[in-house]
Amino acid sequence: MSGTYTAHLAEDCGTILADGSKALAYRHRQIDPYIDLCEKVTLDFSGVRSANSSFMNALISGLLEQHGEPVLEKLVFKACKPAIAVLVEAAIELGISKSAGKVVA
Amino acid sequence: MNVFRLPMHLNAGGLLPFLTMMGCPLHDGGVEIDISELRRVLPASMVSLVAMVNLWRRKGREVRFTGISECPILSYLQRMDFLSSCGIDVPEAFRRHDSKGRFVSVKNVIHQTDEMAREVAGCLAPGGEEFDHPNAGLYDMITYVLTEVANNIRQHSSGTGYAAAQVHGHEGMIRMAFADNGMGILKSFRMVEAQWSEQATDAEAIARALEPRVSCKAGPPNEGVGLTMVSSVVSKIGGALLVVSGSGMAKFPIGGGSSFETFPEGASYQGTMVAMTFPERAAKRFADALKEAKDDAGILQSGRRRATFEP
Repeated sequence: MSGTYTAHLAEDCGTILADGSKALAYRHRQIDPYIDLCEKVTLDFSGVRSANSSFMNALISGLLEQHGEPVLEKLVFKACKPAIAVLVEAAIELGISKSAGKVVA
Repeated sequence: MNVFRLPMHLNAGGLLPFLTMMGCPLHDGGVEIDISELRRVLPASMVSLVAMVNLWRRKGREVRFTGISECPILSYLQRMDFLSSCGIDVPEAFRRHDSKGRFVSVKNVIHQTDEMAREVAGCLAPGGEEFDHPNAGLYDMITYVLTEVANNIRQHSSGTGYAAAQVHGHEGMIRMAFADNGMGILKSFRMVEAQWSEQATDAEAIARALEPRVSCKAGPPNEGVGLTMVSSVVSKIGGALLVVSGSGMAKFPIGGGSSFETFPEGASYQGTMVAMTFPERAAKRFADALKEAKDDAGILQSGRRRATFEP
């Protein structure tokens, strides 16, 4: 296991991240496979203008739910504007709760 | 024939009496809507009426509008694409101007909610596409609210959804509204076999839908926080929110608080309608309001400590 993988959200999903189904498909295709292969996985939000909870929860909470809390040691969240950072933090918290079995959504 | 004469003012005070009037059980036959007296109408009244008219048509009822030429706000209704959305074609005797910064005409809620958000936020918050523009917070707020509500409509209404908005510059307020003619919130819960919903009322179902982490949609990617955050953020920036579904309604007035009620006279709205009013300037603090809303809902506690953020 070595190297760093960077997912460019704006290029891959658009500058407005709003569709949870799209996020889920993107995670399965573009993020999950690299979690076990790379030491660092960067989610680069450069150019992302806006987002909503549906997208972020599907993308990030799902990662934590699937791979567990230790996946946070690999993840880097880059270039998050303030509102995006709030959504990322909340999605992480939700993912941690779910992976610990605290929440049945 | 069911005849409705629309009152002069379908404004904030007139919305619920209007929905009660339109939501009473219909007799057999068609529907006639007289708009000759109509002088003031808000987006919520428009989109809910468009949703109703299109539902009645889908069910085979004849719907006709009367008093069109006498209506003092005919050109406004045309600019808002209200009549055309109701299937009424009236020649326009005016030139359309750019609506940027003023209003968003009635739109179908489409699958590409991100594209819709770009268009609507670009119209209501001109310049906000740029991160450092004074309207950037407003742009974020509109995008967030629109995509969350539109996703809800698209994913589980099984009906058609409509949206419209208006900037009221003299009040410094923005009014946005969404309406669909689908199954409504209570039936959505019953579809996913939420056991409690069997004995619940529409008002109780709305209340549950507004609780964090309660979703009408089964399984991932839905976490059930979208509508909860929308209501909380709107309240935190000093706005008001109304959610109507079936015979129930939830009111979040300006200044805080909430109430869950049932329509009088057996009235019911088939589908769900979400209307909000918020101060244009306060939307600048959208990011802070969102953070507070997530905090209140117990879904933002210590994420930053455990996550790595890079500039």
